[in-house]
Amino acid sequence: MSLAIAGMGWVTPLGTGIDSVWERLLQGEEASPTTISEEFADRVYSVFRVPGSALKGISHPRLRRASVVSRFGAAAGLHALESAGLKPESQNAERIALIFAISNGGVTYTKRFYHEIVSTGAQSASPLLFPETVFNAPASHLAAILGVTGATYTLVGDGAVGLAAIGMAEELMANAALEYCLVVGTEEIDWLLCDAYRRWRLLRLAPPIEPFSKQNRGMILSEGAGAILLARDGFVTIERAHPGGYFGRRGEAETILRRIFCDLGQIEIDFAISSANGTFVDHVESQALQDLVANALVYTGKPALGESVGAAGLWQIILAAQALRSKEVPPVLHTDQSVPLRLSLSRTPVPSARRAIVLSCGLNQQAAGLRMAIQ
Amino acid sequence: MAQEDRRETTNNPARVAVTAAGVVSPLGFGLAETLESLRSARDCVTPVMRFSVTQCRCKTAGQVSDSRLLARHAQIPRSGRLHRASHMMIHALQELVTQQPEFEPELTVIGTTSGGMSYGERYYRSLNAAGDLRHAPTWIANYPAQKPVIDAQTAFGISAPCKVIANACASGTNAVGHAFECVRSGRYQRVLAGGYDALAEMVFVGFDSLQASTPEKCRPFDCHRSGMVLGEGAAVLALENLDLARERGAPVLAEIIGYGISTDNFHITQPEPSGVGARQAMERALESAHIRARDVDYINAHGTATTFNDAAEARAIRALFNGVPVSSTKGMMGHSLGAAGAIEAVVCLLALQHQFLPANINFTTPDDGVDLNIVANEARPAVVNIALSNSFGFGGTNASVLMREFPPSPELPRTGDA
Repeated sequence: MSLAIAGMGWVTPLGTGIDSVWERLLQGEEASPTTISEEFADRVYSVFRVPGSALKGISHPRLRRASVVSRFGAAAGLHALESAGLKPESQNAERIALIFAISNGGVTYTKRFYHEIVSTGAQSASPLLFPETVFNAPASHLAAILGVTGATYTLVGDGAVGLAAIGMAEELMANAALEYCLVVGTEEIDWLLCDAYRRWRLLRLAPPIEPFSKQNRGMILSEGAGAILLARDGFVTIERAHPGGYFGRRGEAETILRRIFCDLGQIEIDFAISSANGTFVDHVESQALQDLVANALVYTGKPALGESVGAAGLWQIILAAQALRSKEVPPVLHTDQSVPLRLSLSRTPVPSARRAIVLSCGLNQQAAGLRMAIQ
Repeated sequence: MAQEDRRETTNNPARVAVTAAGVVSPLGFGLAETLESLRSARDCVTPVMRFSVTQCRCKTAGQVSDSRLLARHAQIPRSGRLHRASHMMIHALQELVTQQPEFEPELTVIGTTSGGMSYGERYYRSLNAAGDLRHAPTWIANYPAQKPVIDAQTAFGISAPCKVIANACASGTNAVGHAFECVRSGRYQRVLAGGYDALAEMVFVGFDSLQASTPEKCRPFDCHRSGMVLGEGAAVLALENLDLARERGAPVLAEIIGYGISTDNFHITQPEPSGVGARQAMERALESAHIRARDVDYINAHGTATTFNDAAEARAIRALFNGVPVSSTKGMMGHSLGAAGAIEAVVCLLALQHQFLPANINFTTPDDGVDLNIVANEARPAVVNIALSNSFGFGGTNASVLMREFPPSPELPRTGDA
């Protein structure tokens, strides 16, 4: 069963409008880094943050005390509905299922909650903060805003979780009574996350992200949200979501990606939206792309937008949909041009592009893929 | 591989069998110990020793014994570095695999609430105190919610892609329910479903800060109920297309026949007082199973023993069912959050297999506002052909699953027939 994209929305370090951010990407722009620090540590990290103006106009009583990750998710979800011409009203709410994809969740509030307890004891634990530390808080807020009374799910995973959420949407849409499934991926940045990824040797202290480089110098974290409203009809179809699998060791990731390609790539693929982000992922994806879809043009948006983990998969799908619609692929920034891949090194017209693959190899052992098409 | 032989949704939904199960909870390790604890209505809630609770109102929890849990699994490299939740998942999956070594899931759907929260705590405490961070990479590695699932699958050579559902306290039932839908629709033939959660200090303190947990006994549906106690554990169920399971000669322990999910948008931590969300979940489960409320013989309630949950759930049950025996088993083992729905599905499975009603312990004084047929304090034999299990969570997530004895009993007079 294929599903169609009826609407899209995103909140990114380059702004919020689908078309305006897309145009900036086509022009080779990238987000500006800012630094993030922590009072009990000396180390400072570079990150790509969402500009404050991005959440203008997004207000609701449920969001008053909500975490940033919830606000990003709500904004992207509402933009996706708006772009499909749907309003958050009760007659629509009956027909919509909601799936959130998250990796770290409300980590800033979680840290504040920890901090109060660690510094002054359990008696100072905040009953206001605690509910926002629960993974499904963002989904709950958007469900309340939309008045959703049916299925609401939160999936947790690594960078591949967004694609897993699309797969789950396929499963839910097997129910013919359901007309729409709104899939939202969202993530926020905190110093704690930067520090954790650095200890795993996955983080670079300052930009750029250099995808497909011979040396894995690491990624830069970013934040935001992506949302896709899935329906039975729309401008771009998701022909097949592949659940992928997990890899015990990094070396096994390539086997999973090959399996995904074998299943998805039997039809001619015009371009691939890779999740290459300057880490081990790049080599794994590069090998699979070279061997299995060597003719496909390859793009990764992570040097421009950063690694947004839970939101990343949804951003990749939006990038693929935009490329299929606009018949152009943006330039891959800061890449090693000697890599034996057909990289999009400049704004590349793809006038006859019909099909794309989106690949997501997460940093915590999960990988997934999907194939999209335009008529 | 699911995608290769995936079937499109059919108009004739497949029947869904449970062909194996495994469980670890305060009630015991494995189905046999769990059954024994349920039959004897054992109170397995004990003082918390894992971390200091001196500043908390609540001092108790349902806990899984470390001495048994952390016994090294010879087949697992570096098992000493694994999350307690990974050990729980490994124990539960080991029991399932022992029953059904040929069960190869195409998909795994697991629920959790806390994920690797306890490792986040350790990491933060060490950072904050400028303490020893030599083990930080291990703590960080154990933080992702999917890690215990991957650890357990790896231990038994299972390579199915996994979906980790974090719908707060409804997660386990959502996982079982979604897995059921995946098999019923024909998209998958074999799905591993379940849930896990290990006790974590910050979660314990969080519920204490909300004054949701009690310094007293956990008394679901009792007039003097004063809150929940936390628990921990893991449970997994092997769900299969019933026809294919029988073709390969697999024993069918029970059938899952219905699943309902709803979202109420009343408050992030409180249920809608009329119980509309809970009622919708149960109604949808009944519709999904094509059965009537009077066909249900037993309800394993969410029953956290908080004032609001039990009142709302009782209203919802009363609106749909007339006198069906109801118990919450959380008084015996605490509320294991994301694992609760999966563990309680196993409780229902045992009730169906062994024809008894698990007890709602610590029930001393009926509440006039909770007009239910509570299975008070002692388990009792009964004809149980169909059981309903409820789970409700933060954020207004509500889920119900219906299970049926297999093979189904012929029509018999039932307790609580409406």
